[in-house]
Amino acid sequence: MKIGTMLKDIVASFFKKTSTQLYPFEKTRAPERYRGNLFYDPSACTGCCLCVKDCPSKAIELVTLDRAAKRFVLKYHMDQCIYCGQCAVNCKFKCMGMTSQDWEHAALNKKEFTVYYGKDEDIKQLLENVSKPAAEPVDKPIG
Amino acid sequence: MNIEQTLKDAEQFLAPWCKETFHPEVNRLDVAIQVDDLRAAVGALLAARWGYLSAVTGTDLGIEVGQLEALYHFCNGPAITSLRIHLPRESDACLPSIADIIPSASFFERELQEMLGFAFSGSKVSERLFLPDDWPEKVYPLRADFSIEQAAPVAGRRADELPEQGVVGGNTFVIPIGPQHPALKEPGHFEFTVDGEIVTAAKMRLGYAHRGIEKAAESRNWIQNLYLFERICGICSHTHAMAYSLGVEKLAQVEAPPRAQAIRELIAGLERVHSHLLWLGVAAHEAGFDTLFMYSWRDRETVMNLLEQITGNRVNYSANVLGGVKCDIGAEQAKAVKEGLTYLETRIRHYLEVVTTDAMFLNRTRGIGTISRDEAEKFGLLGPTARASGLSRDVRLEAPYGAYHHFPVSLVMETNGDLEARCVVRLKELLVSCFTMRTIVDNLPEGPLTTRMPRKIPAGETVSRIEAPRGELFYYIKSKGGENPARVHIRTPSLCNWVSVLEKAVGHQLADVPMLIAGMDPCFSCNDRVVTVNRPSTNETWSWKQLREYGIEFYKR
Repeated sequence: MKIGTMLKDIVASFFKKTSTQLYPFEKTRAPERYRGNLFYDPSACTGCCLCVKDCPSKAIELVTLDRAAKRFVLKYHMDQCIYCGQCAVNCKFKCMGMTSQDWEHAALNKKEFTVYYGKDEDIKQLLENVSKPAAEPVDKPIG
Repeated sequence: MNIEQTLKDAEQFLAPWCKETFHPEVNRLDVAIQVDDLRAAVGALLAARWGYLSAVTGTDLGIEVGQLEALYHFCNGPAITSLRIHLPRESDACLPSIADIIPSASFFERELQEMLGFAFSGSKVSERLFLPDDWPEKVYPLRADFSIEQAAPVAGRRADELPEQGVVGGNTFVIPIGPQHPALKEPGHFEFTVDGEIVTAAKMRLGYAHRGIEKAAESRNWIQNLYLFERICGICSHTHAMAYSLGVEKLAQVEAPPRAQAIRELIAGLERVHSHLLWLGVAAHEAGFDTLFMYSWRDRETVMNLLEQITGNRVNYSANVLGGVKCDIGAEQAKAVKEGLTYLETRIRHYLEVVTTDAMFLNRTRGIGTISRDEAEKFGLLGPTARASGLSRDVRLEAPYGAYHHFPVSLVMETNGDLEARCVVRLKELLVSCFTMRTIVDNLPEGPLTTRMPRKIPAGETVSRIEAPRGELFYYIKSKGGENPARVHIRTPSLCNWVSVLEKAVGHQLADVPMLIAGMDPCFSCNDRVVTVNRPSTNETWSWKQLREYGIEFYKR
């Protein structure tokens, strides 16, 4: 039996850099594989909706405006996402993935957590349709 | 002894009561018996020292069938014998309680009683263990016809009263600890009867973190469930996902490629390091040794960073997919793992020396909460808690799964059975894990990471057991051939280990109790898997609907 078995560690620590960081002034780069926000590239998408089908938290919705012309809009609920990456595994055309750059998620209201991905004119058309519900209905996602 | 012989033995012991036998899988024997024969059959297996009661699974077979099914799973090495009993759904028929012969069965029985409405004759406990106190009577959440509207809270049950406390008689007091208490890191409620400083009786209540995961699983598809189960526990998330994946792969008769299996084992190893170091910190903190707490948690960051680098997240790694893994180990990751392990090994050796020599820490651990080998066997303890008492229970060795055939671990055992032995077992286990992980990184099999999995899993049922950091994790998965599982039953190791606290607290000083609780490394989210809120201060009971609306309004802001 001894007393002060960890005294050495404590003394040694006086001559070492601190283990903690002064976030947000100092930041560590997230590793390459880190699963941050979802990104989506509509040009490769075929609208198969396999990503939507297996999403455990119903965080993504795929709205098909015109399937033949490849006009898709992905509505991504960042606040529901559990960042598991199953959608990226399911996608056969590699049109989605998780970025390692964007991971600092804080906002003052919840609206900022709904993100639309797609061509600008498609998103505009979708949002206009949503604001006037009496107008021509948007095609429901398949699957 | 091979599996066939072991199962034949069991069949022989159970012959007098057996109505029918099945072999659902190579390593399983399924014996249908009558309700009245249960105690005799269990007694016969115990007398022959055939395995231990690992879990009791209850299933509602549906309104059309009109029956409830109870499965008593006994495990002996890789062999599993299940006693299958059918009871009519709408009647007062009850199962005989076996809690007096197997203490850990009392938790299983209470789970069946509250969740499925089984009745047990001869059971002394009538209080609830999992469900909230204001949960309505005769509403069973795991029944097929349950709907959430039935769960409207009922006022006037014990929740409105204060917990039992104060003078009981003479010098005896009842001291309630929890659900919110500085000595507890997670919610649980205990009532300790004390005579002066000495504990004379102990009682507990769980369910404060119950999320109804088993029920939720029935409405999600096989892939979505993988992520649901991963979130049962933030500490051993990979183990849950791995047990589920292995079970589903067995049902689909698909095997993950060797490289995927090895990577699964590697991540499980890293997870064990992080879990045990976390535990060491918590135990040290409970003992008042905060220096050890701070340093062990600092070093734990090494393994957390490794996990982040390999899988892409610090917790809930999502490394598994059904039929393989997502992440590969390249040269860069292999190098990082080896460097990290070298640092961790020196630190773990240092901590091993600290916990076995530090006078202050030893005063809190040596000779406290001693469990003998016989007691450990009787209580049905699992994992490091059992191994500290000289009971060699480790699924990785008894029934190797995944890559454990190729990369085996060696058994770590202590015989003293006190809190010190539990510290030593866990730390030595880490050194063994580090050694195995190094071997895996050096000899990683080549090949693909995934195989094809069908979306619909063929009908059948399977048992998947794996060694979690806290002990044997038990998954029972049943499929009806669809896109969703028909029933998933999960028995986590902490549930079995609680007996050690309740039985061992008696005779100890109250001040030792937090250490005793920490000594088994309890994981509350493991035990608890809807809860309604009651505000006694205003004496106002909220309905489910009100609560939901309040919650929605609250988060809109």
